[in-house]
Amino acid sequence: MKLGARVVRDRWISLGVFIAIAAIWQVLSVIYTVEAVPGEPMVAGWQVLFTKTFLSMADYWAGGLGVPSVAEGADRSYPAAALSLADHSLQTIIRLASGLVVGGGIGLALGLAVSWSRWTRRLVDLPVQFLRTLPLLAMVPLFQLWFGTNIAGEILFVAYGIGVIVFAGTVNAVRNVPSIYIDNARALGASRLTLYRTVILPAILPEMRSTVLLSLGTGWGAVLGAEYLGAQSGLGYVIVYAQQFAYLDRMFLIALLFIVYTSISYWGVSKLTARMLDWAPPSQRL
Amino acid sequence: MSTNVAPRMIELVHVERSFRRADGTDVKAVNDVSFVIPEGEFVCLVGPSGCGKSTLLQMLAGLLEPSDGDIVVGNKPVTGPGPDRGVVFQKDSVFPWMRVIDNVEYGLKCRGVPAAERREIAWTYLKHVGLSHVERAWPRELSGGMLKRVAIATVFANGGRVLMLDEPFGALDYVTRHQLQDVLLNLWNADGAGTRRTVIFVTHDVDEALSLADRIMVFRSGNKVDDIAVKVSRPRTTDSLLLPEMVEIKRKLLHHLGLDHAAGLDAVADEAVA
Ligand SMILES: Nc1ncnc2c1ncn2[C@@H]1O[C@H](COP(=O)(O)OP(=O)(O)OP(=O)(O)O)[C@@H](O)[C@H]1O
Ligand SMILES: [Mg+2]
Repeated sequence: MKLGARVVRDRWISLGVFIAIAAIWQVLSVIYTVEAVPGEPMVAGWQVLFTKTFLSMADYWAGGLGVPSVAEGADRSYPAAALSLADHSLQTIIRLASGLVVGGGIGLALGLAVSWSRWTRRLVDLPVQFLRTLPLLAMVPLFQLWFGTNIAGEILFVAYGIGVIVFAGTVNAVRNVPSIYIDNARALGASRLTLYRTVILPAILPEMRSTVLLSLGTGWGAVLGAEYLGAQSGLGYVIVYAQQFAYLDRMFLIALLFIVYTSISYWGVSKLTARMLDWAPPSQRL
Repeated sequence: MSTNVAPRMIELVHVERSFRRADGTDVKAVNDVSFVIPEGEFVCLVGPSGCGKSTLLQMLAGLLEPSDGDIVVGNKPVTGPGPDRGVVFQKDSVFPWMRVIDNVEYGLKCRGVPAAERREIAWTYLKHVGLSHVERAWPRELSGGMLKRVAIATVFANGGRVLMLDEPFGALDYVTRHQLQDVLLNLWNADGAGTRRTVIFVTHDVDEALSLADRIMVFRSGNKVDDIAVKVSRPRTTDSLLLPEMVEIKRKLLHHLGLDHAAGLDAVADEAVA
């Protein structure tokens, strides 16, 4: 009862902060009226963002589904704008999700390989440690030259950004598994494969959860980075396009969308893993 | 007399183990230890903290290699861990991510025992340790004593012929400890003298050793300094500890532990004689 009351109160506080930030933004848009280029204010108010700016998203609609595109001569319409946002969001999310699966899987496998045997450690540890030190953003042009506008390049870039974090997190988490569990499993007759499947993997899960949440933040950044340069679609592409014409309001709208998506993805991963952590004490499940 | 004909289960020949400390010095945790334990014997290891009891057990379990010497269990040299030897560790070893029943089944599952059969076995031993009502619980929901019981059920269910317990009841209250001692003896004795498993039980508690053991080995700084048979018949009660031969053994043990002048011991001895 008490705990429930506190959760409710915390929610109200969060909501209050949220509304306050939105209000400050609105006030700022009224008192700071400088324009980047004529007609494009540095700070766009909400009344602009949800009408003109949203409508302008129709520019990026390629047509189809019975909703004609601006390029085909139609006027900007709300259906076209909504479809456009949905389509580009989907492109971005597909890149991120594929990158997460590929990068998370490879990062996890290589991270486990470090502790698997002396041989696999030698094979994996040094090269990956080296890869880790390369700055992610510096790799954007490299990936673009290697892969061009191919979607594989974008996915690999995201996978790389996520993979190195998951790798480091896995190595660390395995190191933190109490040796008593490993001894116990071995004494009860577990083979190495069984040991990894039934002891190491569940034992590292609470730590891996924070690692995945961390890598997700990087992942959203990486997918934008990949789309800046290469892609012909996706939210990053919309931002680049808007930047060329100093459409600050459009860039801001996409940024808002990013906040929403990132929050949803955090929430989703938290919910999904919370169910797998039924066994853990509540402090490890938050 | 039956111990004379029982086959040798465990044999240690000049076993040594040293560790290198962080400061570069070597510690000899186990120093030239040799003994033979026949099948079915209940042996207690006593000795002060740091005398190498856990190290010895880990080597027997195959989790630690001796620096020198040979260890043979059931006529096979020990080269690694195996389900023929079960260990109840000093620390809590129950897997928190498996429900109680899955923990008890773990070893059987590793060896590919069919699901129905292993559930049956696990269930039997859970009942023996009095935990059948929490079979579906998570370990975090159990008390320390219950966790120890799960660990005991797990190694018994796994069916090893040698069981090693490292101060299993050290952190428990007096009542729980005595209950679990009974549970352990019942499991050990369940099917009569001929089928007993070999047990090595590490303890700090002299009375505990006296009420459980067929034989008590005393260790001091890595060396085996005494090896005492306890011939008092079973089942033993608190009164058994007052028998003159028990008091004599207790006096010896306390002497080894440097407690010659322990208060009250003489009074207890007088009482027993009276
Ligand atoms: N991994 C290790 N590295 C270095 N020294 C060790 C290691 N394990 C044990 N030792 C040393 O070996 C000696 C014996 O340790 P051990 O754990 O076997 O003692 P013990 O008899 O089980 O003590 P306790 O009754 O307190 O559990 C100690 O001096 C300890 O410091
Ligand atoms: Mg110990």
